[in-house]
Amino acid sequence: MVDFFALGEQILVMAFLVTLGYAIGMFFNGFARKITARIHNRVGPPIYQGYIDVFKLFGKKTNISHGWIFDLAALFSIAGITLVFLFLPVAGFSMLSTDGDLFLILYLLAIPALGFALGAGASGNPNAAVGIMRALMTMLAYELPLVMVIVAMMVHYNTTSLAGIVAAQSNMHWAIFLPVFLIGAIVADMALQGMLMEKPFDIPIAPHEIATGPMVEFGGKHLGALMLYKMMGIVVETTLFVDLFLGGGVILSVAQYGWLAYVVNFLVWFGLITFVFFLALLINAVFPRFRIEQALKFYWKYDALVALLILIWIFVEVST
Amino acid sequence: MMAKELFPEAQELRKGRIRIETIKDKVTEIIKKLKENGYGHFVMLSCVDWIKEGKFELVYQMWSYEYREHVMISIKIAREGDSMVTLRDLFPQIETYEREIHEMFGVNFVGNPRLGEFILEGWPHMPPMRKDFDTEKFVKELYYKIPEVKEE
Amino acid sequence: MTLNHDDWGKVARMMSKRSLWMVHFCTGCGAMEMPPVMTSRYDMERFGMHAMATPRQADVFLVTGYLAVKTLKRVVQVYEQMRDPKYVIGFGSCTINGGMYWDSYNTIKDLSKYIPVDVYIAGCMPRPEAIIDSFLKLMDMIDKGEAIGWKKYHKYYDQYKKNQRMAYAYRLDEVEDIKEDDAK
Ligand code: SF4
Repeated sequence: MVDFFALGEQILVMAFLVTLGYAIGMFFNGFARKITARIHNRVGPPIYQGYIDVFKLFGKKTNISHGWIFDLAALFSIAGITLVFLFLPVAGFSMLSTDGDLFLILYLLAIPALGFALGAGASGNPNAAVGIMRALMTMLAYELPLVMVIVAMMVHYNTTSLAGIVAAQSNMHWAIFLPVFLIGAIVADMALQGMLMEKPFDIPIAPHEIATGPMVEFGGKHLGALMLYKMMGIVVETTLFVDLFLGGGVILSVAQYGWLAYVVNFLVWFGLITFVFFLALLINAVFPRFRIEQALKFYWKYDALVALLILIWIFVEVST
Repeated sequence: MMAKELFPEAQELRKGRIRIETIKDKVTEIIKKLKENGYGHFVMLSCVDWIKEGKFELVYQMWSYEYREHVMISIKIAREGDSMVTLRDLFPQIETYEREIHEMFGVNFVGNPRLGEFILEGWPHMPPMRKDFDTEKFVKELYYKIPEVKEE
Repeated sequence: MTLNHDDWGKVARMMSKRSLWMVHFCTGCGAMEMPPVMTSRYDMERFGMHAMATPRQADVFLVTGYLAVKTLKRVVQVYEQMRDPKYVIGFGSCTINGGMYWDSYNTIKDLSKYIPVDVYIAGCMPRPEAIIDSFLKLMDMIDKGEAIGWKKYHKYYDQYKKNQRMAYAYRLDEVEDIKEDDAK
């Protein structure tokens, strides 16, 4: 007999969390613009600008369409990124799967990008094609060091489950406090910079070269959906980082403190992802853009090399 | 060799400013010679409409980084029914100037294959930089006559 | 209390006035005044304004200065690519009456004959204060629902197209078979 009550409760919680995720994403948009503006010695937009922008974009009329693939692509991206969010342990609380398989998450992370690529391809704009090419290249570049660090973590914690890694880091045994994973966190943070498409790795977007690349033909509602996807992407990617290195923000155990633990953990999680994003913004605000081959070189030559050393270290540590 | 030595008939307007007046058949030869003698920069080709004489003056301007000297080769061709040979083989950038002068003055450059539309697209009137083209009248009869959008 | 359609429109206008994304068409010298407006001296991002890279994403179209007929074709195309609701700001005397190009054979004199203009900024060239002022004016107009240039363009499309065609052809009698996709 299916317990409908528990199921309904779970769905409600999930809906609430997803909404919260999007709300945080929109907040991050305004936050990013404000921080960047302050670094540029400007006043900047109000911090709630992200909400206004999204609302406005959904209020716009659609004059043209590039076919149904174009129309649905943004939804595809949103669905994909929401799914990833549901698989991630957020503040130690996993929504869909209790073990949050890391391989699955890494695999799922490619899906929204694929939707993005589909839409851009359907628009038929040459800039979009160039942008997609660049996006795939940067993805290829940053995934190598990232995956190596993640494999090192899996070996160290002897689990392939993200929830397991988070659980192993409870009671403030955060991975980042180990010297080897401190270096690992720096490597992964560089990869995160590419994932978030912030400078110097905003090669796929590059508004001044290829007119925002894949998004060049998107406007109005389509762009609104795409923006939601990007905002949620920020939340997902920073959460992944926090889960891996900062113990997912879990500081109180649920078993001991009950619902208070949830609230506190959520607040800590929010603070941590904001901090991680803030670091990315600081780098973003002062750097110019790499060319694609420079980015590849950076990731594969330096980042991946350090990641490889970490991997070797961990293997030596495990085997002795 | 400096332009003055190459062409004794050249006038020196002031220091570093040489003017050679010649006829259109000699231009190719003169420019080739200048190019070989250190005047490696073709600055521009311009056109002047001498409407009372019924002539167009074409001025080829060259510059030497070596002697820091500016040479103008000026020729006159008849306003109607005359033409000039293209010099695009000597300096490729001349082609663009020729296109412009063809469009603005209607001078024909024999041998230039790209004398099509350049800046003005679909221009149906006489070339607009000719002196007998009354710009003010044209503007008043076109742009100021285009009606405002009427709203009911 | 129920929200009717008008109230939604009001909310939408309230939002869109605080988030105007612009595409600036830098043909004229007036574009020179945009960098100070965008950067830290005058900082238009205070109002949520933001320069966008493509017309599809933009709400405000800034035509900065004189327009040759060839440029007008591009301007019209960019304008038509923008999504409704869209607003146009005519920038400098050149867009109002031709400015110092009043007798030039190849520049159009009055932008509003070809595309609807919501706000004009006088001056050659307008100071950044004037530009900021025009933005505020535009926001005010959007709030009151007066910035309806895009609706006009739909309604009087024939007249606008006719005028554009006259300019493209450089003659008053209407020429039907003008290659409008030349610009593409
Ligand atoms: S109004 Fe003045 S500053 Fe602006 S484009 Fe015209 S001439 Fe230039």
